[in-house]
Amino acid sequence: MNHPAKTIAVLATGAVLVSGCGSETNIYLTLGVPVEPYALPETAIELPPIEVLEGDGLPDVLPEDLVWVTNEDDPVFASPDAKRGGTFRTSILGFPLTLRRVGPDSNGSFAGFLRPNQFGPIALHPDTRRAIPALATHWAFGADGRTIYYRINPKARWSDGVPVTADDFVYAMQFMRSKEIVAPWYNNYYTDRIRDLKRYDDHTYGVQGANPMPAGEMHANYGIGPQPRHFHVLNDDWVANTNWQIEPNTGPYQITKVRKGKYIEMTRKADWWGDDLKYFKHRFNPDKIRVRVIRDPNVAFQYFLKGELDTMGLVLPQYWHDKARGEAFDNGYIVKYWFYNEQPEALGMYLNMSHPILSDELVRFGIAHSMNFDRVISTVLRNDYDRLSTFQIGFGDYDNLDIQPREFDLERADMYFDAAGFETRGGDGIRINEDGERLSFQVTYGTPLHTDRLVVLQEEARKAGLELELDLKDGPGSFKKMLEKKHQIAWMGWAAGGLAPGYWQFFHSANANKPQTNNLTNHANPAMDELIMEYRASTNLEDRIRLARILEQMVHDSGVVIPTFRVPYTRAGAWRWVKLPEWVAPRTVASAFSPFANTGGFSGGGLFWIDVDERERTLEAKSDGHSFGPTTIVNTTYRVDPAG
Amino acid sequence: MILDRLRQSFALNPLTVKQWRRFRSIKRGYYSAVVLGAMIVLSCGAELLVNGRALIVYYEGELYFPTYGDIIPGSAFGLDYEYETNYRDLDAEFEEQDGDNWVLMPPVRYGPLENNLTPGYFPPYSPSFETGHYLGTDETGRDVLARLVYGFRIAFAFASLLLLCNYLIGIAIGSAMGFWGGVFDLAFQRLIEIWNMVPTLYVIMIVASIVIPNFWTLAAVMVALGWTAMTWNMRTSTYKEKTREYVLAARALGASNQRMIGSHVIPNTISVIVSFIPFSIATGIFLLTALDYLGFGLPPPTPSWGEMLSQGQKHIVTAPWIILSVAIAISIVLVMVNYIGEAVREAFDPKKFAYYQ
Repeated sequence: MNHPAKTIAVLATGAVLVSGCGSETNIYLTLGVPVEPYALPETAIELPPIEVLEGDGLPDVLPEDLVWVTNEDDPVFASPDAKRGGTFRTSILGFPLTLRRVGPDSNGSFAGFLRPNQFGPIALHPDTRRAIPALATHWAFGADGRTIYYRINPKARWSDGVPVTADDFVYAMQFMRSKEIVAPWYNNYYTDRIRDLKRYDDHTYGVQGANPMPAGEMHANYGIGPQPRHFHVLNDDWVANTNWQIEPNTGPYQITKVRKGKYIEMTRKADWWGDDLKYFKHRFNPDKIRVRVIRDPNVAFQYFLKGELDTMGLVLPQYWHDKARGEAFDNGYIVKYWFYNEQPEALGMYLNMSHPILSDELVRFGIAHSMNFDRVISTVLRNDYDRLSTFQIGFGDYDNLDIQPREFDLERADMYFDAAGFETRGGDGIRINEDGERLSFQVTYGTPLHTDRLVVLQEEARKAGLELELDLKDGPGSFKKMLEKKHQIAWMGWAAGGLAPGYWQFFHSANANKPQTNNLTNHANPAMDELIMEYRASTNLEDRIRLARILEQMVHDSGVVIPTFRVPYTRAGAWRWVKLPEWVAPRTVASAFSPFANTGGFSGGGLFWIDVDERERTLEAKSDGHSFGPTTIVNTTYRVDPAG
Repeated sequence: MILDRLRQSFALNPLTVKQWRRFRSIKRGYYSAVVLGAMIVLSCGAELLVNGRALIVYYEGELYFPTYGDIIPGSAFGLDYEYETNYRDLDAEFEEQDGDNWVLMPPVRYGPLENNLTPGYFPPYSPSFETGHYLGTDETGRDVLARLVYGFRIAFAFASLLLLCNYLIGIAIGSAMGFWGGVFDLAFQRLIEIWNMVPTLYVIMIVASIVIPNFWTLAAVMVALGWTAMTWNMRTSTYKEKTREYVLAARALGASNQRMIGSHVIPNTISVIVSFIPFSIATGIFLLTALDYLGFGLPPPTPSWGEMLSQGQKHIVTAPWIILSVAIAISIVLVMVNYIGEAVREAFDPKKFAYYQ
């Protein structure tokens, strides 16, 4: 876990939150009552000033030679046809355990509703991946390559009307470093990665990170958000006291109603400060968002069919092909969307090089050529998935699209296995070498949902004289075995994220043959180590892209990773009245029906709108039995030809 | 005279004969036993009935019997590959060639592990006489009937092994507890009570995180935690029997403990043991199925009823044949085993004039 988004992604998939249900508390937040001037509440502890290590630290006076930049030149991606109004109804699997954004239990799936409503100084454009203004209007980079200065938009307000100032950022730093919030990960990140933060005037501050990076990544890693210092009373009881408090935020939506165990309602701020900004216009359109607790995905699907939820994710083949059928779909009341996006992906089979037989690259190549992924895709995966060609993909220019994956080819497999000394076959058809060792490996994996894919690969691999022994464990159990490097072949995927691919954690020799590191292949190659370090230190984007492509090629050449599948799209069903722009969504969205700004790390959400008239028409048509004809919208604008 | 001796030694105990007659007179138990017995015998030779390997191949004047033993590579029959021959394709090819070569396939032409997939068509495939998938296929194109048959064999073998081991340990310790009593009894009672508290499922999960579970490790864990059930019954029965006159008489004659337990006490508690057997078998089958259903049982791709149940549940709307096949099979087997159990208990009941309804 080295990125909050990863933590959320992992927890959100697994977490089914429970609650003490039943009790009804309606909490209305009065918006727009300024609480000024700021004075430290008596009950709060006094936070120490930001401690700076030797070698770190921002200048006391704002440097004069800074080049302040902004970005008003990138294309707009929201639709001018969008109408404000209506209620967007969605669901989560369990009631949140807290409404806090940090601290114990705050990393559940509801964090996905709270955190995107806390804006940072900048956002990332969902098409160009460049920085665009959010809380800050301008930014400048320091000479040391690891410092950014931000100028805050004077219009920026907390939900209670208090202006956002540089003090809120200073406070955020102190807050995140304090032990009272009981959040060790944040404590560490704001000490280890963020080294200093300094206020220059009410609307100007600077932040310094640990390493130099290219501009975009520096924003993503060091562009931390503010904390409302007028709201928090930080003391030993902070965790308990703030558990159900509604914190002021800077985004377009604020929680206005909480019925414990049942639902949470969020309301659009009528005079939100961001409404005039170029990249926020025509976005965040529904007046209300109602998040209902439905504890079972199948039940939630039934609610959706009845029209009580507006949208439903349909990524799984079983949902898209089998469940999404019936009257509402045939008559076009529900529209199906299949949108190819560009999200980082890394699914593969990771071969452990510390295994005596797998350390031979001929064996690794032979195994790669014995894996019949096409057969899996064309049968059990219903032609929905694509073959992944490289270890990781979906980082735009960083991707190396010249690499062709090793295809299922029995002749080549024969050739490689023969050359590796596995020339004869035993009575069961599995190859053996001179020492009598069988060509048999354990494949460790963590979900029974993947058994169908693996048994097909297993049967096909037998043809090449290769035996795969399936080692199914529960999710955490399988990952533990892999992190302890006790696996032979690991079948898993990384929740890749960020703006650029990472190599150090996966392939650097510093992480090889050590437990609890992400180098699952125990790959160690001095030539590659050098390039990895060069890649890490480089702040030049073109240079980094060149190096990333070379590194990807080296990973391919070593054969330690057999890339498996990619799911290069998001799929959903939506009732007819939920409208999307003609172009559906920008390239990087993780979900086209995300009501908030941030989806998949980029600011591409909140584009849809609820057409109230269309809703009337659809419901009328439904009661009259009138059909609009089945509607499925497939958008392949951003589809990368698999392996080509 | 020798003949008489022989007849005597082979003659069944009149009590046993009576019990057997009584068992036969209880129709549903008796017929269940016959059917189940037949199923077990047939499943032992399942390779001859349900298999992707041919029974006999006649190729270029030579006969091949591929059913048992090593694989025969395709090249042996003039095909261009080194892996195991696909006999269904071979059959089709020989038919097309219209020569002297022929293939005799078993009645069901699919093995339990074969993925019979057609690119572009998405499994599960529905039941069809044309393709020979009489009960359809599962989500990876494996024949449901084949998996049912092999799954039954594994489940029954597992249950029988469990029964044998549990009873051997349970009877030995239970009788010893009852026979000796005192401190030995007390100590074991407490030990068993503590042992019973060990949660089987967690132990299996822990074992599964260390090694890939297989038939033997699973059985070992189940026996290690399951032998206690039988001890209580044996302890009580032995307590009762050991105070009987015939045991006292044996003791007076100087019989050893081993002889008293082995030759006198246990034979007289046999009715208790025998009437438990069918229910233990049912429990064993149920246990393995439940474990496989939860994903902690035998590793994939082992044919298993529990794994089929969980698949069937997943595809209950789109492929009802999976859940129907396995649910009906489980119900039938467990009902039959219970009928047999009832009949056995009735047959061994010392109260002769009890009515069985």
